[in-house]
Amino acid sequence: MSPIILRVILVVSLALIVAAVVLSRKTWLPGIGHGIPSIWRIAKITVAEARRRRVLQAVIALVVLILLSMTFFSSVTPEEQAKMVIDGGLAAIAVSGILLAIFVAAFLIPNEIESRTVYAILSKPVRRFEFVLGKYLGALIVLAAVVAIMTAVLVGVLVALDHLIKDQAGSVFNPNLGSVVFASVMSYFSLAVLTALIVLISTVSSTTMTVISAFIIWGVGSAQSLIYGLAEKQVGATKLLLLVLYYLVPHLENFDYRFQASNFVPINLVAAAGALIIGFGYTVVVLVVASVFFSDRQV
Amino acid sequence: MATAETVLQIEGLTKIYRSLFTPMGVKAVDGLSLTVRRGETYSIVGPNGSGKTTTLKIVLGLIFPTAGSTTIFGKSIAELSVRERIGFLPEDAYLYDCFSGEELLDFYAGLFGYSKQRRSALVEELLTLVGMQANRKVPFRECSKGMRQRIALAQALVNDPELLILDEPTSGLDPAGRHQMTLLIQELKRRGKTILLCSHFLAEVEEVCDRVGIMYRGKLVAEGNLSELAGEPEEVVITFRGLDRLGPDAIGQLRDRIRAAGVEIASKEALAEGEEGPARPAPSAVALLDSAAGEIRLPRAVEGKLWQVLQAVRDAGGEIVEITRPRPSLQDIFVRAIREEPQ
Amino acid sequence: MIPSPRARNGLVALFCLGVLLALVPAQEIIHRARPEKFDPTRLQRTSMVGVGLTPALIAAMGGFRPLAADLVWLKVDQVWEGGSWWAMVPLLNAVVELDPKFELAWQVYGWHCAYNLHAESNTALDKNYWLQKGIEILERAVEANPDSWRMKWELGWTCFDRAHELARAAEWFYAADQLKGAPAYVSRLYYRAYEHLLDRDGILRGLAYARARHRDDPKHQHLVTRDTNFWRTHWNDPQTHRRVIVEENTARFQRGIPPYLYPNDAYFDVCPVCGMPVPKSKDAVCGNVQCPNYKRPIHREPAGGVPSAA
Repeated sequence: MSPIILRVILVVSLALIVAAVVLSRKTWLPGIGHGIPSIWRIAKITVAEARRRRVLQAVIALVVLILLSMTFFSSVTPEEQAKMVIDGGLAAIAVSGILLAIFVAAFLIPNEIESRTVYAILSKPVRRFEFVLGKYLGALIVLAAVVAIMTAVLVGVLVALDHLIKDQAGSVFNPNLGSVVFASVMSYFSLAVLTALIVLISTVSSTTMTVISAFIIWGVGSAQSLIYGLAEKQVGATKLLLLVLYYLVPHLENFDYRFQASNFVPINLVAAAGALIIGFGYTVVVLVVASVFFSDRQV
Repeated sequence: MATAETVLQIEGLTKIYRSLFTPMGVKAVDGLSLTVRRGETYSIVGPNGSGKTTTLKIVLGLIFPTAGSTTIFGKSIAELSVRERIGFLPEDAYLYDCFSGEELLDFYAGLFGYSKQRRSALVEELLTLVGMQANRKVPFRECSKGMRQRIALAQALVNDPELLILDEPTSGLDPAGRHQMTLLIQELKRRGKTILLCSHFLAEVEEVCDRVGIMYRGKLVAEGNLSELAGEPEEVVITFRGLDRLGPDAIGQLRDRIRAAGVEIASKEALAEGEEGPARPAPSAVALLDSAAGEIRLPRAVEGKLWQVLQAVRDAGGEIVEITRPRPSLQDIFVRAIREEPQ
Repeated sequence: MIPSPRARNGLVALFCLGVLLALVPAQEIIHRARPEKFDPTRLQRTSMVGVGLTPALIAAMGGFRPLAADLVWLKVDQVWEGGSWWAMVPLLNAVVELDPKFELAWQVYGWHCAYNLHAESNTALDKNYWLQKGIEILERAVEANPDSWRMKWELGWTCFDRAHELARAAEWFYAADQLKGAPAYVSRLYYRAYEHLLDRDGILRGLAYARARHRDDPKHQHLVTRDTNFWRTHWNDPQTHRRVIVEENTARFQRGIPPYLYPNDAYFDVCPVCGMPVPKSKDAVCGNVQCPNYKRPIHREPAGGVPSAA
């Protein structure tokens, strides 16, 4: 895309955002002080509820076992072992994170509606968008805790292996811990974007459809470069369709720093910052739309 | 018409549910209009599927009407200031079941922005009010049905609401539990709360409500206080005893004496199916004798002959136990109102 | 103030459209900063499935490409132990397609083609094919890892040691030395390439460059000083020239690469056929008994034509 077109798009987009914010200031500005405590309280109870369910503990235990079993790659050189432990560990964290994100987020709001616990909340001075944001924030906190625990275990495994192998004559493991943690953190942010999208879908469709859609979106979102590559080879309507898909589905691949972590490649911080900005913008749009849908939903 | 004393105003409320299988729609609520005034206890009664819960959900903004409007304190439910003044007890106490009563009350109090100290004081006060201090730490899922309803009521009171909306508060409770809940509602009424109550337990409704609205198939078929709905008592009931020890002919003699006093009388047994044909109600000017129960029911048309009938009973050797002028029960009113509706 | 549903929807649509449009240039910036592309058609899927790597293929499609690369890499090791050198090629290709940042895999892939398969090939055509393939693979490695000194060094070394494309090797050694992490020996290899070319200006330039690098490395400085002194002393020694020419052209001969013809040497000409040095004279003849041009004047058209220069 040419720089001029990009600049025009940027100017138009900023104009639209400013117009929307200014025109709607009388609706959201007065209530801003009230909204935050409600959102926080709903988030806290979501976290507390998740903690009391046994599923989370089971998932964490399973992943910890997988991470510990990574130490059995001993038939290769230390460098290769480092790469395999990092790749395997980050993949385990990613998979468990995605499964948790899908199953936590897909049931977040539908469960409340089905069990009718939402009645007691919405009859209180809690706006519908505060409820959606509170549930989302609670899910984020749960995911953050799980990813943090699993990352800590992975780092522990790498440090232990590092010490173990350094003790043997001549071997240097030298895992790139900073990049590993960075990759894990970026993986968490991709989960945050995915969770927002799942919450949006759950406000308008059944739980089963939400789970299926979530897997599809995750698959497509992880294959952005593939879609872009395919789009480049096409012409006309197919190319347009692929480009629309490329820009519409969340760019989860932007958050993929596993290559950098396992291959000790320097991280492009501009790209990482860009990924975070895009992820944040996308999440805001998705949550706003989810709030609108939920506001119109009959519970 | 809304006045300063009007707490809840519903006008022309209609709710039609449409789906793929019912493209024409199912009318859950059909042109409902009612008003609840400050300090009164208004009860909506009706059979299952009459639209009571749908009405409550529309009032609370949980679902949206097809037509009509509802206002609370003159404003829409969408305004937060309105929801700060109401409390809602949902049917079957739908609350988070992994938390204890104490934690739940603290959470709901927090939604009103109360400080930690105020929340603690409120939780204590409410647990005391509903009698749950001893079981404050029991997880909700382990509580009995009665305990759950009490906690649910407590969460509805967490903001000391002016308007309390209770959906089937005694549903699923045993008689002791229902009695306790009724006492609580009476206490709240005594404290000046305006209460909108939905129930199909008519006996409890009679004990607490000031006005009743009877809903049937989405429509309000009758409304008013119990006296208005009951109307004038239709009969006088004379309860007697002692005739059975005078022999099998004593009842026949009593009947003859009453007829001699100028009051036509039929026996309940005779009207029952088998002796004189199918069971039929007594004509409005005919007294009814129930010898098994020891009662004579004197319709309003021949009330003027009360003293003659009493004399006849005494002359027959019977002893007058009680003379009452009973009002129809709410159940009777309910059945009558539904029967009168075109099917 | 509670807006009407229509007004609310309009404002929300305006805001969302604005934000989504703003993401387009941001995504373009990321795409330019991280132009990683994955083309699954470049994986030789039949070969992968044939050796039981279907799980790796599925993992690759699911976005877990580094892990898939590791699984295939383990398979490469097994295949190597089994002696199937030719079967390693599609697997190594899969590894580098799946994880283009896996430098070790690129190194092994390039080395395997340029060295092992080159040696295993029977005809000159095949040998040349595998040598060029190895170089092409390392060029792809450099493109995929532009910030990696190791990839550039590996390419330079293959050009230097295997293909004997000495000028090109010098360029790559220089390029590798510009990148962070390059060890001291890379800068020394830069002038080493010019030594094999007997390019005096190049040698002097290279020595000066190497001396300016790694000033705090005493071993490196010692070696550069040693080499500088050597050339000061031996530049004018014909035997040094002869030794360099014999070493270079013998190695080329063994690899089936045409000899290097050393146009600017002060003391020797070389036979255009076998590349062996002959003292400069008008009637110089090739003295290599194994050469088809034995005892023939080297300045006349040899029997069979002049093989192409490196």
